[in-house]
Amino acid sequence: MTEQEIIEKTNKVFEESFEIEKKRLVPEAHIFTDLGLDSLDIVDLIVALQNAFGVQIRAEEKVREIRTLQDIYRFISAIKNEKSKKSS
Amino acid sequence: MTMPARFLLFVLNLYVYAFVLLISAVAIPALTLFVAFTRLFLSHRGTMKRFRRAISWYGKLITAIPYPFIRLRYEDRSKNGPGEPYIFVSNHRSASDAFLMCVLPHECVQIVNIWPFRIPVLGLYARLSGYLNIRSMSHEQFMSEAKELLSNGVSIIFFPEGTRSASRTMGSFHGAAFRLALESKAAVVPLCIAGNEHIPPKGSLLLRPGTIRVRRLPAIAWDDYKDLNAFTFKNRVWHIIENELSVMESGV
Repeated sequence: MTEQEIIEKTNKVFEESFEIEKKRLVPEAHIFTDLGLDSLDIVDLIVALQNAFGVQIRAEEKVREIRTLQDIYRFISAIKNEKSKKSS
Repeated sequence: MTMPARFLLFVLNLYVYAFVLLISAVAIPALTLFVAFTRLFLSHRGTMKRFRRAISWYGKLITAIPYPFIRLRYEDRSKNGPGEPYIFVSNHRSASDAFLMCVLPHECVQIVNIWPFRIPVLGLYARLSGYLNIRSMSHEQFMSEAKELLSNGVSIIFFPEGTRSASRTMGSFHGAAFRLALESKAAVVPLCIAGNEHIPPKGSLLLRPGTIRVRRLPAIAWDDYKDLNAFTFKNRVWHIIENELSVMESGV
């Protein structure tokens, strides 16, 4: 999966599951202050990302460090890379 | 503001606050005695019901004092019966909002921040009547106590902006009310309060004359929101209230 595909799929999660307009989904958007999520919305976000990417996201330290959309793209990319390494 | 207008405003405030103190000094002990008396004959649940009703009566007395300088109008556009417990979600412009909730014909508790519990006498009564301080509880504890209230037939009032907006621009919503709805399946009722942004304005106790309107909109039933998550649900309700406030402010 390319970086661009990860970005598009992640943005689609925000558009469809959180009804956030496409124009607000810029990499530097802060998910709490700019997009309006709160700490408990993260649980719904993780479920939606898991379903969209077919990955397991554990409540690990890295999740708590996520602040911007760019952080999410990087986080998903790392999980995907790890998964493909394991399967190969 | 001209000198005579300022003087009239001063007299109005003197009159209102003097009567609020006087009526509180009589009504609070009288209502307390009434509740204590009913406790002799009723269960804890029955007593709590009367206690919350007494608080509502007190609110009606307090909001009637400034009439006709300040008028309170309840506009029920819901056609919902009083039978089931609801989760009321309201915009929040003024410190007077908590008192305005006396217009609701339901047994209610309010979800509050820390400071209302610190108000002398009223804070104690809020605590005793089961108001929940969302800041002092864990999410799990809050959900458990709120669901218990709903299952006992008690409606819950939220001001999900968390703080007074102090203007006509509504702040974004916190998600607790909507998470509670998704977990409890209770119907959510949007409430729109208009005309109270200067009664009193934020950071002041000075009341200005005007008409406050509390408009109750139709309940949103579980079937209508069950497929949403808390985030989308809160934003939908935010837009419903925002649109209705625009309608109200255009004079309709």
